[in-house]
Amino acid sequence: MKTRYYAFIALTAILTSCARQSQNTTARLGEPSPGYGDPEYVGALEEGRHERARASHFMTLSRPFPRLSRTEELWVITRVGSGGQTADDYPTSGCIRTRVNGREVPLPLKHTDVKASISAYIASVQVRQEFHNPFSEKIEAVYTFPLPENAAVNEFIMTIGERHIRGIIREREEAEEIYREAKHQGYTASLLTQERPNIFTQSVANIEPGREIDINITYFHTLAFVDGWHEFVFPMVVGPRFNPPYSHDGVGAVGRGRTGGSGQPAEVQYLRPGERSGHDIAVHVDVDAAVKIEEFNCVTHKIRHEAPEAERLSVWLAKENVIPNKDFVLRYRVAGNRLKPGLLTHRDERGGFFSLVVYPPRQQQELRRQPLELIFVLDCSGSMSGQPLKQAKAAIEWSLKHMEARDTFQIINFSESASKMGRAPIPATPANVRRGLDYLKSLESEGGTMMIEGIKAALDFPHDPGRLRFVCFLTDGYIGNETEIFSAIDERLDSSRLFSFGVGTSVNRYLLEGMARIGRGAVAYVDLKDDAERIMESFFTRISHPALTDVQVDWGDVDVTDIFPRTIPDLFVGRPVIITGRYNGNPRGAIRVTGRAAGETIESRLSANWKATHPALASIWARQQISDLEERTIRNDTPRLHTQIKQLALDYNLMSAYTSFIAVDSTRRTAGRRGTTVPVAVPVPEGVRYETTVDKD
Amino acid sequence: MSTLNLFSASLRLCVSALKPCCYLMLLFLAAQLSAQQLHFAAFDIFVDSKNVPLAAYQLEFSGPADHVRITGIEGGQHEAFKTPPFYDPKAIQQERVILAAFNEAPATKLPTGKTRVATIHLQFTGPQRPDFSLKLHTAADSEGKSISTKATFTQRGLYE
Repeated sequence: MKTRYYAFIALTAILTSCARQSQNTTARLGEPSPGYGDPEYVGALEEGRHERARASHFMTLSRPFPRLSRTEELWVITRVGSGGQTADDYPTSGCIRTRVNGREVPLPLKHTDVKASISAYIASVQVRQEFHNPFSEKIEAVYTFPLPENAAVNEFIMTIGERHIRGIIREREEAEEIYREAKHQGYTASLLTQERPNIFTQSVANIEPGREIDINITYFHTLAFVDGWHEFVFPMVVGPRFNPPYSHDGVGAVGRGRTGGSGQPAEVQYLRPGERSGHDIAVHVDVDAAVKIEEFNCVTHKIRHEAPEAERLSVWLAKENVIPNKDFVLRYRVAGNRLKPGLLTHRDERGGFFSLVVYPPRQQQELRRQPLELIFVLDCSGSMSGQPLKQAKAAIEWSLKHMEARDTFQIINFSESASKMGRAPIPATPANVRRGLDYLKSLESEGGTMMIEGIKAALDFPHDPGRLRFVCFLTDGYIGNETEIFSAIDERLDSSRLFSFGVGTSVNRYLLEGMARIGRGAVAYVDLKDDAERIMESFFTRISHPALTDVQVDWGDVDVTDIFPRTIPDLFVGRPVIITGRYNGNPRGAIRVTGRAAGETIESRLSANWKATHPALASIWARQQISDLEERTIRNDTPRLHTQIKQLALDYNLMSAYTSFIAVDSTRRTAGRRGTTVPVAVPVPEGVRYETTVDKD
Repeated sequence: MSTLNLFSASLRLCVSALKPCCYLMLLFLAAQLSAQQLHFAAFDIFVDSKNVPLAAYQLEFSGPADHVRITGIEGGQHEAFKTPPFYDPKAIQQERVILAAFNEAPATKLPTGKTRVATIHLQFTGPQRPDFSLKLHTAADSEGKSISTKATFTQRGLYE
């Protein structure tokens, strides 16, 4: 009798496991609903009975499904094929809706709150994402969002009511596994994964109806510093990416409700024209510049500000500007056009870390440049249509009109393929400039972004060795195959220099910064409200003097190791470079910077004060090393490099492609036995057209 | 008829001989499945500083690394320790949680007696809860002086 009882227990356990596996494999059980195209749905039964879903995206099961065990959860995930039906609403009923312009879009992300504190040239940023459940059954919210490409994300806290749970950094696969299991067992859990260094996905499982869950993320990053201006950027939305047909690790762009429609592992859903979710954003930035702030501006948003002291500035996003559909860019200029302090240190049980601003030596400004060969590469894909293309054309037009007669130029444009004005660079004579302007005027935007064609066309072009070749790439960077582009630049660059210009309100800064770094040039951004001529003027000032190459730093008596970037980039006038590294002992004394420009060796001395400190330096150093390792994978992708990145991220509690934050509230299982995954749809960036980027058909 | 009887008797004999084997196999499978089962649990960590206000502590909570995965660290009950404490990222890779927190508030705003300073959320495998251990490294009062305290833990949210 006893043996039979054990057998019964064993059988029950096996059946439970089978039921679990049936769910985990999310078998295709659904029959297409008549009149709804060919949707592919996944579902199951509650209480061991068939259930006919009420909304259009719910399905009728074609065969019985095992009864759920007490520990099992039912998750309904909508999946729509490329020609499939869109799901207008997500869970079945009872949702609190937002009504704007007659379109109702209930979504689980209510508000994003950003608090940034800038000290010297380092920003510490806290982002709070407030999720809620406006539906009548529990949900999983999935939100793909951007952060700065150099952000060292090192803190993650899930807040449920008054309770705060600190997330743990784990290997990505392990974190995903824990999250899936917690979700299935009904525990509230959250997972943060990295899709690109500037794109992240936040998943929050088991948000019960009416409940709110906040996610707090903290990160650090160094600010850009160009021509004496600091620039703080908070990106608000991921622009719709184009992925070449052969790409399977891109970031897809689909309309709201078309989950899985892009066929890419990461995907962003976009609101259709006229739709608006209730999601809004607040931004507050506190600046402590240590020296007088001479002026500041924010061309992207309306702001209000307070300046309690000459060195301090507080900025808030104005109330009428709370739709998160473009980058927030705050620029400020300090007295003396120099960062203070230029050298920061930090010491803890892991050792000493430092960060140093290396300025271009003043002598560089006295040297004149060689004749140039300027190749303008213009992105004419659908995402550039309208104002972005107009801005890019204005920038090229200004450049053509300001070239010297001894320079040569050429114009290349690309979308699905690349085409060019002529076969070789032509002298910048008034007649040729007129030809160039006519050609520029004739260009229109249409089609996909086969950027690789533009890169090949620009870098494989015949080159005049008597001139310095500068390739000026004007694009919004809305592609998902960044690595392929980096690799192509690295292979083909030779003696050329690539300058990337990000045109638009929410450009792909990871791509643009990477192109400039690998292309040994520099990056500039042209917002739709920026004066394109002013930006090209400062670019021309920069290239009017030779770059300082072969830059070396002599640290004197200081024992310095692990400097990143490993090779100090060429220094252009007006563009200092920030390097980070580690040090031992008690450093003191001067630092000497040398380099070569126009055949001359140039030297400058820095009187270093090793006393100024900043606690974020260890994270910033580790993040820089991760970037360096990632860049090495472009040249030689080995498992060893992946392991190094993963271990570094785990040791320094950082997000990376191989690590994720996980937080589970294991104190209670949530009520209810079914749930729905609801992706957070976002607006297309301001100035970008939905019809030419997301819904191209 | 006799052949049929003989066949039937042999079949019965075979079935009765195979029965224990089947039961054993099923038991083995059940044990395997049970061992693979994943449970979530929360452990409350308490520090009892008696009548001295607790300003800082460092402790270590650990379990068998091959059965346990730490999934979150929650702050304590008193306002002074409500923020989730920081953990040592190197130790957590071995599923050891080294927690440390301090609060610079005046003694009147610090907890005394037994107080929950943190809750550790974790996942473990197997049919039984593994053994965990807790070691208090140090605790201090608002003046930074080391104090005599006792640390304990109890399980919350017991798995079903």
